[in-house]
Amino acid sequence: ERFLCVAPFPSPAVFGRAIYAIARISEEFWFDPIEKGLALRSVNSSRSAYAFVFFSSTFFQHYCWTAASQPCQKQKQLSLPFKLIIKSVLPVFRCANVLERNVEKCSIFTNINGHHITFQLLCRHGVVKTYNLTFQECDPLQAVFAKHMCPNILKVHSRLLADVMIHFPTSQEEVTLAVTPIKVCFKSYTEEDTDFSKTMLTEIHLNPEEFDYFQVGVDSEVTFCLKELRGLLAFSEATSGPVSIHFDVAGKPIAFSVEDRVLEASFILATLSESEKTSAGDHNAGAVASKKPQRNGNAPSTESAKPASPWAKREITSIPRGTKKDATGAGGRAVAEAEDRAALEREFRDEKVRSVPTLLSGVSYFYKYSIFQFHSLFFGAVSCKEKDGVGHTFCSLATASDTEEDSGTVQSSQV
Amino acid sequence: MRFRAKIVDFACLNHFGRIINTIAKLAKTCTLRLTVGKLYFILSDKVANGGVSMWCELCQGNFFDEFQMEGVAAEHNEIYLELVPENLSRALKTAQNAKAVKIKLTNKHCPCLRVAVELPSLSSSSRIVTHDIPVGVIPKRLWNDFREPSVPDFDVSIYLPVLKTMKSVVERMKNLSNSIVIEANLSGEMNLKIETDLVSVTTHFKDLGNPPWASEDGCQSSAQDRNLESMAEARIDIRKLQQLLAGQQVNPTKALCNIVSKRIVHFILLHEDVSLQYFIPALA
Repeated sequence: ERFLCVAPFPSPAVFGRAIYAIARISEEFWFDPIEKGLALRSVNSSRSAYAFVFFSSTFFQHYCWTAASQPCQKQKQLSLPFKLIIKSVLPVFRCANVLERNVEKCSIFTNINGHHITFQLLCRHGVVKTYNLTFQECDPLQAVFAKHMCPNILKVHSRLLADVMIHFPTSQEEVTLAVTPIKVCFKSYTEEDTDFSKTMLTEIHLNPEEFDYFQVGVDSEVTFCLKELRGLLAFSEATSGPVSIHFDVAGKPIAFSVEDRVLEASFILATLSESEKTSAGDHNAGAVASKKPQRNGNAPSTESAKPASPWAKREITSIPRGTKKDATGAGGRAVAEAEDRAALEREFRDEKVRSVPTLLSGVSYFYKYSIFQFHSLFFGAVSCKEKDGVGHTFCSLATASDTEEDSGTVQSSQV
Repeated sequence: MRFRAKIVDFACLNHFGRIINTIAKLAKTCTLRLTVGKLYFILSDKVANGGVSMWCELCQGNFFDEFQMEGVAAEHNEIYLELVPENLSRALKTAQNAKAVKIKLTNKHCPCLRVAVELPSLSSSSRIVTHDIPVGVIPKRLWNDFREPSVPDFDVSIYLPVLKTMKSVVERMKNLSNSIVIEANLSGEMNLKIETDLVSVTTHFKDLGNPPWASEDGCQSSAQDRNLESMAEARIDIRKLQQLLAGQQVNPTKALCNIVSKRIVHFILLHEDVSLQYFIPALA
């Protein structure tokens, strides 16, 4: 039930930027330590944006996580993950720039007895700042999005994306990304009933050559919320890797992600579907553009390549947990869950064939399914990693007897 | 009606951008008047503006490498457009490194000024950013509303103190009062005064100098017989004054104001290639 990680400079600033990025999505976030690292997740109130930042255990100087998975200990167990209110965490990492100068180390640990998580900043001149925050237990959160199944993949340096977005006013809510194999453009979103006499419209045309990787499998115009993306853009400037954009046609989610050796972050945003773009009362969504897939009532024919049960084959991306093979500690429960899972999969299949009418369901169907899936992964075992020479003795070895994946051996975290 | 213009020079672009920023700080909506040789940004003294009016004039040749204009008719070769200067300011803001900026009057969904910014990019072709700024075309019958204001028959004309100093004084005073009194005399002295129930503050400036105005037709203006020490004063809305001073990004070559006692204060700010006149009426 204990969790600890220690992050020396310059990590607190990076960590702080991640929190600030997530703050653009929602007022609370899930704090989810697992064996391989620390995951932060958030979803907005309309379920149309999902943020995920994962710090591998190698990001930290010292990382130790334990959980008991014996069924009999369930009562005393600290349920991980837990939720934190962002506003209570932001002050800890306020002013990332200042953090870089003054904070030498940041430690995060949980308290066994109370529902506390402690952030401790070791600053220069011997100053130690300790923040004790209470958290809420909650249901786990995870969105599943198969990036590799997206026909359109762009990779570009974060600087370029920031330079593009700067041309839109900060009040601009929605932005449309339009691609063909030879053209790419970001533009202000307009609907048919936009009042053009009052609205300033901006378009930025880029050359595909400016992208590190440019793959357009299907011409598309996707509209997403720029405000929510700005958090990721700010965060990505702190990492060195490019920003990857995975998307499909209108109505399907778009994912912006950054990744480097020790961390990865993804923001998955719902996009407006064709039926929403036309004004209310007009249901001829299919007639809008002949290239766009039919959205009302028919199985999407352009997706014939995908299996009938799409979720069965899709992997969980970016989340280094066990696969669906992990069973829970209690055998009986596993069976029941497997049945439920199959039922949900069926339901999901049907749902996919129905239209995706609202902005909200863009990500929500992932969410509904995956919450359930998550339960089955919940009790994966971990072992404690001990860094040599660090005098923290809180870690205890815990082994899970019934999991397929992890063994009970101690693994030391890499520096 | 046609209008196309292009700026290629870096310094011209920056200078033009700064002027637009100043205008954007002074007026939410204003009129852009285009003639063959000049551009004017005009705000006429409607009640909605609080009675302030503005006249800003620049020679297009000092900024644009290309400038083509065809007005509504041959004998009225001008275009009057109503626009939100903040939009233009935003469009130009990110054009700092532009290779070229083109401005064109178009009419796709509605009349617009299309600002196309050509930016350098890492690839072989430039990055193009276009901003469509909606404008209203002002019909010829309303052009009379936008005539150049005449210099009022002032009591005192005086050069302003260093604008930066004046700005910081007025900013602090703004926290204490909604109105400010400007008074000045022909001996180069100016006072800025505020007075509330609790406090009164006066800042004195001296040795400012009074600009020499030649009277147009030889007759004496009211300023000429005046007692040199006698102050002309006007109480004006302090926020309007603060807006004017805050909007100045570059020190003007000449800055002066003409005070008509208890009626109006007329500010004139002159730069090399642009002149700005701003009228703030006295409060009742």
